[in-house]
Amino acid sequence: MSIDVELQAAATKYRNKQKIKDRFISLFIGIFAVVWIFPIAWTIWSSLRPYKEVRANGLFSVPKVLNLANYADAISRMELPTYFFNTALITIPAVFLTLFFGSLIAFVVSRYSFKWNVSLLLLFTAGNLLPAQLVFIPVFKMYITLGKAVGIPRLLYDSPWGVVLIHVAFQMGFATFVLSSYMKTVPKEISESAMVDGATVFTHYTKVMLPLLRPALASLAVLMTTWIYNDFFWALVLMSTDSKRPITSALGRLQGEFVTDYNLLAAGAVIAALPTLIVFFILRKQFVSGLTLGSTKG
Amino acid sequence: MSEVKNGISRRSVLKGAAVGGLGIAAGGSLLAGCGSDGTGALAFGARTVDAGPTAQLKALVAAYTAKTGNEVTYNATESNAFQNNLSQYLQGTPDDAFQWMAGYRMQFFAEQGLLVDLTDVWNEIGSQYADSYKTAATGLDGKQYFVPQSWYPWGMHFRKSMFADLGLSADTVTNWDEFLKMLDGMKKKGLVGFAAGDKGGWEAMGTFDILNARINGYQFHVDLLAGREKWTDAKVLDVFTHWEQLIPYMNPNVLDLEWDGAMQLLLQKKAGSMLMGSWFGGNFKEQSEADYADLSIIPFPEINPEFGRDTVDAPIDGFCVAANGANNAGGADFLKFAGDMEGVQAMLDAKDADGKSIPMTSANKGQDTSTYDAFQKEQLAVMDEATYITQFLDRDTRPDFAGPVVGPAIQSWFKNPKDVNKIVDTLQAQWDALPPLA
Amino acid sequence: MNSTAMGSKKPHRRRAFSRADRTTLTAFVGVPLFFHLLLVWVPAFLTIVLSFTYWSGISISRIKFAGFANYKNIFFDTPAFWEGIQNNIIWLVWFAGIATPIGILLAYQIDRQIRGHKFYETAYYLPVVLSLAVTGIIWNFLLRPDGFVNGLFGRDIDNAISFFGNYDINIYVILTIASWRHIGYIMLLYLAGLKSVDMALREAASLDGATEWQTFKKVIFPAMKPVNVIVIVITIIESLRAFDIVYIIYGSSAGFPILGTLVFQNIAGEGASMKGAAYAVILFVLSIGPIIAYLRTTFKSDVQ
Repeated sequence: MSIDVELQAAATKYRNKQKIKDRFISLFIGIFAVVWIFPIAWTIWSSLRPYKEVRANGLFSVPKVLNLANYADAISRMELPTYFFNTALITIPAVFLTLFFGSLIAFVVSRYSFKWNVSLLLLFTAGNLLPAQLVFIPVFKMYITLGKAVGIPRLLYDSPWGVVLIHVAFQMGFATFVLSSYMKTVPKEISESAMVDGATVFTHYTKVMLPLLRPALASLAVLMTTWIYNDFFWALVLMSTDSKRPITSALGRLQGEFVTDYNLLAAGAVIAALPTLIVFFILRKQFVSGLTLGSTKG
Repeated sequence: MSEVKNGISRRSVLKGAAVGGLGIAAGGSLLAGCGSDGTGALAFGARTVDAGPTAQLKALVAAYTAKTGNEVTYNATESNAFQNNLSQYLQGTPDDAFQWMAGYRMQFFAEQGLLVDLTDVWNEIGSQYADSYKTAATGLDGKQYFVPQSWYPWGMHFRKSMFADLGLSADTVTNWDEFLKMLDGMKKKGLVGFAAGDKGGWEAMGTFDILNARINGYQFHVDLLAGREKWTDAKVLDVFTHWEQLIPYMNPNVLDLEWDGAMQLLLQKKAGSMLMGSWFGGNFKEQSEADYADLSIIPFPEINPEFGRDTVDAPIDGFCVAANGANNAGGADFLKFAGDMEGVQAMLDAKDADGKSIPMTSANKGQDTSTYDAFQKEQLAVMDEATYITQFLDRDTRPDFAGPVVGPAIQSWFKNPKDVNKIVDTLQAQWDALPPLA
Repeated sequence: MNSTAMGSKKPHRRRAFSRADRTTLTAFVGVPLFFHLLLVWVPAFLTIVLSFTYWSGISISRIKFAGFANYKNIFFDTPAFWEGIQNNIIWLVWFAGIATPIGILLAYQIDRQIRGHKFYETAYYLPVVLSLAVTGIIWNFLLRPDGFVNGLFGRDIDNAISFFGNYDINIYVILTIASWRHIGYIMLLYLAGLKSVDMALREAASLDGATEWQTFKKVIFPAMKPVNVIVIVITIIESLRAFDIVYIIYGSSAGFPILGTLVFQNIAGEGASMKGAAYAVILFVLSIGPIIAYLRTTFKSDVQ
């Protein structure tokens, strides 16, 4: 009894001490956080001011005009709908296929014991970590050779599908790794009862495992979407028609085009960043758990 | 009407000769395209997204379509991205005709079989060009692969108003001593004397070119870039010694600025002079007519009296036809139009969004030099004074040497000019390590 | 090859597979495996082979055997390579010694639900969600000759601080930008891991008189082992593979050499040669060490 009281008193004391300390830490982290988001804030601020005024009155002048004119201008001159559409054309199939393939491998590896299980997992995970530049030239050659062989030059090169496939091939490794760790947390009994009931492998996957995987798939989907959305390397080297490129690659073009009007460029950058920001704010929970599924539940 | 008919006959002759193996396909499209000119729709790839040049190229495309009825798909790519991707672009699914440059970087791709022989186009429009342009359009095998669009000289740019304030004129900056005196005067006035940028890795190559040509002459420069002379030669060291004398007059952040950053120094009157290609005049004009009218160019001063001011870097921009394009005949036909005075005129008549004309110095003899504005006339004077014309370092030597080797070497020289001996050693070592040209 | 392996292996202990099941399993593994091998491992292997050749990357018939010439060129004649290695090492040291620990520290503090922790979490994580293209533009705004920071110091464009061009400071400028993203990433990873560590464990430890540092070292850090492994590997791999941010700022020029951009500069542009492939292989060899170490830790239980 008395030990309990003592402990509680100690705990209270600890908590009080901690509270004061926390206030300092909070202040410090708060200041740091403001510094952290300042670059973004400054960009947004710049995007609201006309370039001419900034040039004439200086960077720190009190703004006479603050409006969305740069945004209107950026939207009309940057052909943003086209670039967003291109992005969707790459990102959506790539995320879907990555998750589909990843879940297949993860399912087999975690539910059926074969001698090759670990080697397969190793292969996929290691593949995911290889540098992209290492595979670039042969992949490019394969794409154009295949295109010429079947008589459709733009089958994979300069086509969203080629970019989709290379994303899928790389990211599959991460999806497999995460999903297989997640599946290990699903009790084996569920699978075993399904097999006793005489379910085929196919129904076992579709009817038993897929529904259970839903939260993990949702988290991974959010994560993959931001990764693939933000990539610009593959779209840069595997596409030659600029109007087919996704928005992140297109930003380079805008940088060249509006070389002198930085405020307009700021508006373009904000617009390009919006979709990922929206996804992040709406699906923050999934985002965080997607990152750590593999590490904490393994 | 008769003009169009005439066009058909000339073009079909051209096609038969130029396209050879593709005759059947081209013949098919000739029939299909009945009523129009016969070479059919094509795609054109521009290596610029700047407003002025884009307006010019779009005017060219529109004029071609109006004349022939052939639809042209216009694809624009930012110039750095286009250049970085060119090898893949040409091997993959290129546009039929595309914008490119003369010199080694054209010859290299011609030699790899990625460009279409344009000898027949030249047979028709060749008389409209001086011989030097034909030479610049010719590949290592003696055939033409390129149609010139425009040229511009590299020289010392300054603002007339600032020159006047400093009591300077073109005649007082003709040799190295006068040049250094000019820079000194500017420095005393608190100005950057010699605005420079080299973040892009290519900008300063122009300074190397001109110093080498002035000090060691055209022949040595050409031989050096072709590997017949050594980078470790004392003559090359001499170039860097002269260059080092300019460093105190440069802006301190050379490696922080790309060409446009250096241009801003001149535009905002923070710098007194800048060595650059005259193409940026368009940017001055976009800023204001007054800025453009204030812009002026003179040849880089003489250093070695033996060579005077006999050499100038004057790159030629133009067009090629990609061998892997879907419509080679169409590409060649478009280029014939672009090279012909009719197409050139369409580009010269183009106006920007504000209705202002866009400066262009065409390679075609048909552009009356009396229509040149004052700045263009000065450019012409710079050209006329020179006996020898070079393209530019990255157009005059192997592409696997210029970009990956010379660019970084000059940047590391800026980083530490005292390392010059080490730098020329590695330049030579890397030249020697280049694979033999196949 | 895979299908026969699957078929001949001992089936699941409960029952033999039907023919249909066997086909399903083969397809489930075979199709993804095919794409993965074809687009990742086969090209990686081909690049290794190509690194021993002279080739401009264009006509296959012109490939010529070069032996170790490309490697010899890189190691002995290319100073940019050693500068690049040096920059990669500084990058790694900075990430491992500064950025990653800051991320962990932030996670540790924010996890204690200090006031405003939701806002902080978002603020620190925001840069990670932005694409590097956008990141490049944003920082350019701050650091350009006529940008915010130069303005703050009262510098005009003719005497601006050379953030990207001064080689004494530019690596730290780049690393600051890279850390801007990396710290948030590490923080979030660690934060999620910390949520799985029981709060009571910590309090118990501090009641035992342990200092906060001791609590962290003795209680929390060991409990976080799986996350630690991931954090270490991400730190190493990201430092070696670094490319995007440098490419965004310097383009394909060697303004700031690191392995990732050296590969690109030599393998992609007009001047493509298999020296670029050799760079890629060097990068591969350097990254494979951490990859293997990581896999061994992660799959230790599976192997047993």
